[in-house]
Amino acid sequence: MTLEAELVTAVGEEFVEIVDENSYRVRPGSPAEVAEVIRRAGSHRAAVHPVGAGGRATDPSADNRPRVFISTRRLDQVLQLDEASLLVHAQAGITGLELERVLGPRGLSIGDYPPVVLTSSLGGIIAVRTPGKSSARHGFFEDAVVGLSAVLADGRTIHTRVAPRRATGPDLARALCGSEGTIGFITDAVLRIHAKPEARLVAAYQLPSVDAAVSAVYLALREEAAPSGLRIYDAVEAKRHFGDGSPIPVGQALLVAATAGPTDLAACDRDLITSAVIAEGGSASDHTLAELWWRRLHAGEPTPGPPPTLQVMATPSKMRAVYHQVVSEMIAKGASARAHISRFDADGAVMFFTMERSGEPIDDSLLTAAEKAAEAAGAWLLGARAHKLDVYLRALRESLDPDRIMNPGTLA
Amino acid sequence: MQRVAIDADRLQRDLEAIVGPRRVSMRGVDLDTYARDMWPRLLIAYREGHAVTHRPHAVVWPEHVREIVAVVKLARELRVPIIPYGGGSGVCGGAVPLYGGITIDTKRMQTLRSVRSDELICDVEAGLSGERFERELARRGYTFGHFPSSIYCSTVGGWLATRAAGQLSTKYGKVEDRVAGLTVVTGRGEIIETDGPNRALRGPSWTQLIAGSEGTLGLITSARLRVAPAPQLKVFRGFEVDDVATGVLAIRRVLQRGLRPAVVRLYDELDTLMNSFGSHDETPEPVDADRHAPLPPIETGALPAWPGPAPKQETGLFARLSNLAKGKHLRRDAMHAALGKSSLVNKVVGTVAEKIARRGCRLIVGLEGARIRTEVEAALTFAELEAAGARDKGEDPGWRWLEHRYAVSYRMSPVFRDGAFVDTMEVASTWERLMDLYHSVRSAIGQHAVVMAHFSHAYPDGCSIYFTFAGTADDADGAERVYDAIWRDGLEAATRVGGTISHHHGVGLLKAPYMAGEHREAMAIFEAAKASLDPDNIFNPGKMGLRGRR
Repeated sequence: MTLEAELVTAVGEEFVEIVDENSYRVRPGSPAEVAEVIRRAGSHRAAVHPVGAGGRATDPSADNRPRVFISTRRLDQVLQLDEASLLVHAQAGITGLELERVLGPRGLSIGDYPPVVLTSSLGGIIAVRTPGKSSARHGFFEDAVVGLSAVLADGRTIHTRVAPRRATGPDLARALCGSEGTIGFITDAVLRIHAKPEARLVAAYQLPSVDAAVSAVYLALREEAAPSGLRIYDAVEAKRHFGDGSPIPVGQALLVAATAGPTDLAACDRDLITSAVIAEGGSASDHTLAELWWRRLHAGEPTPGPPPTLQVMATPSKMRAVYHQVVSEMIAKGASARAHISRFDADGAVMFFTMERSGEPIDDSLLTAAEKAAEAAGAWLLGARAHKLDVYLRALRESLDPDRIMNPGTLA
Repeated sequence: MQRVAIDADRLQRDLEAIVGPRRVSMRGVDLDTYARDMWPRLLIAYREGHAVTHRPHAVVWPEHVREIVAVVKLARELRVPIIPYGGGSGVCGGAVPLYGGITIDTKRMQTLRSVRSDELICDVEAGLSGERFERELARRGYTFGHFPSSIYCSTVGGWLATRAAGQLSTKYGKVEDRVAGLTVVTGRGEIIETDGPNRALRGPSWTQLIAGSEGTLGLITSARLRVAPAPQLKVFRGFEVDDVATGVLAIRRVLQRGLRPAVVRLYDELDTLMNSFGSHDETPEPVDADRHAPLPPIETGALPAWPGPAPKQETGLFARLSNLAKGKHLRRDAMHAALGKSSLVNKVVGTVAEKIARRGCRLIVGLEGARIRTEVEAALTFAELEAAGARDKGEDPGWRWLEHRYAVSYRMSPVFRDGAFVDTMEVASTWERLMDLYHSVRSAIGQHAVVMAHFSHAYPDGCSIYFTFAGTADDADGAERVYDAIWRDGLEAATRVGGTISHHHGVGLLKAPYMAGEHREAMAIFEAAKASLDPDNIFNPGKMGLRGRR
């Protein structure tokens, strides 16, 4: 039987699309169909590439094998909502925003993750790591994954045990999180969700410098404030984002914060941030800036200006050095860099730099210079790999997928 | 299990070449010591004087990672197993050398290398004991927040290897929630480090794959762990609720409102009653009469006395149970009489016990942390509990619990000495299934033994239940049969209602037969990790449902 005929048998003709003579795009409607597609693709040693809401497969390798792109688009069902345990069991193809639309009317939410993250399908959010998938209050998105179902290369479907915590060996779901479809094809997940907070408060502060703003944030976090959002802008970035409404003088910084939870706790967290700001020489700033920031983040109002040129992740002790190093490097090369720092969690935060030369975006060589400067100051670049562990990842994959059909070319 | 064949002279020579003659032992007394951990089934055999069945061929005490690498390379060459060994406090037989081999005791690697105040991360060697770790952190103004009752006899590496939980886990999380990176010597004899911010690294999380692997994938030699500033304020309080279901709902409401007490412990009716028997109004018996019960002394029960009059019965079943609760000596026949009627005891819980005690269930709640936030969170927590029907009993029960919280482990020895056995089963589930889990497991164990439970380690999505059971039989073989039946029926009941078979004690040998039921096809991932990190099956073979040695 040809591969095409096999795929038609697995999912039905209307859900098989010929991309070119050697590759197909299929849209299975159930995990059982995913398993069938992978089993049949495997019998042809065809490469299997998962495709989420973006419609784009990750890094297909360049060899001449037949390819099957498996879209999760029809796997878009919420399977169970356990309101007693605050868990939702949903299929991999539903996007975060679609899921929010189901949860919202019930007073529930996935959590304080940026909506831009939630435009992806659940499978994509879980399978591909980006530093933005984190929040100060709810942590890294993977920490919300309580259980996963996935299809392995041999067509077996696995379901990891759903329990709040356990001590029954390694966390097997975490082998699939971030694995970009190389270990298994994620078909559905059980996620922790949250009741919508009783109160949400926002505030804006002016601080003498970016360094002081970083110090204020960590002072507040040490006092156990658990804000739902925090962002530091340098003065230039504040001006770009808020126009002439920004009262921040050159060299100083703007900090905006949102707190949420029971009213007393949200107020407590806001007060802890305020007192940390005062301790670092800052003061309250225009409240409307914080409201605008929050609307842009969560109500879809556009942020002016081009998207950031460089995103890096930095731990608390490195943030200040990374900021200064990148800015100085750009100035030394006749360009400029401005930044905001956001997505704080236990590991640190993400620094978003926008670089320009003479009002134009910078070229690749300047970007490389900025990346090197950031890395030299201790930042983690996006998509970092622990290459020393590659041999172990390779062996893990070989053991589960001897014919290398699962997203070959990725994490290779 | 076939003990692997080894040229003992060569093994000794080669190990001495690596760590020197003073840090290798092949003496019988040492091999006997490292033949077991604190798995109660082994303690039954030990008490009855049965011969040791599984001894290592050698024990080594390395001081450097490079020595461990050399030992692993030697083990690969000789094709002998390696059994990592921390404090030996495991209760599932995870450290038993099934096929012999080299037991590596990590306790000479016990340096707290650094505490980074700007990152709130410390770097600590795996062999450091829990109590010393906390003491050294406290000296610097920090806490790891991990306080298992085994803290005096367990190590940091053991915690990581088993995904351990401390009593304050509701605030600080289990150990796997606080690990930023591991240094591991793998079965390939290589050193790997798994550090790096999760969200910036691509690929599977090796930290989360190795944590909980109980020495089957490699040996954890050091770890980067998240610390917290030492608490500025501690608030502890006792409550009572009418019944378990009310208490469970009250805890759930607190957690799902976004509040994070450090500890919540709800005792079911029998556990509440037993602890009221265990009041400390009597002169304790001298501890030194008990060679198996180290400090703290047995009279300082882990659980505080419940205020109010003691039950009136002085003789009969309840008096015997009362003595058991206090850790008093019972003759074997008296112990048998107390525990032999387990089904009767378990049945009266819903009726007689309540009538005697009229106290409902005890609930201990504690908060700690930064002063201002802890104050606000405590007020919200207590108000939420009261709104859910809990009655405030003041601070004393809370502080008494805190004072005696480590003693529970030390109350078990007298039970063994007097001819019975006692063990604990810690299962967990989501809130939706929690009461089903409680009733199913309690009834499964209750066919064989006296069983009581408390609910602790609560999360927004679920909770763990800690069953304590005590049983007896006419002889050692009978005791083992009863013991095995309890675990078989208890764990099958847990799996049947969708609970997990272990929340924090781990798997070892005890729960290995149930791993297939727990993970089903997902075991393929664990097996693949084993093939990757330990291709020759050197590390702790035959455990956790992984294959043994041929």
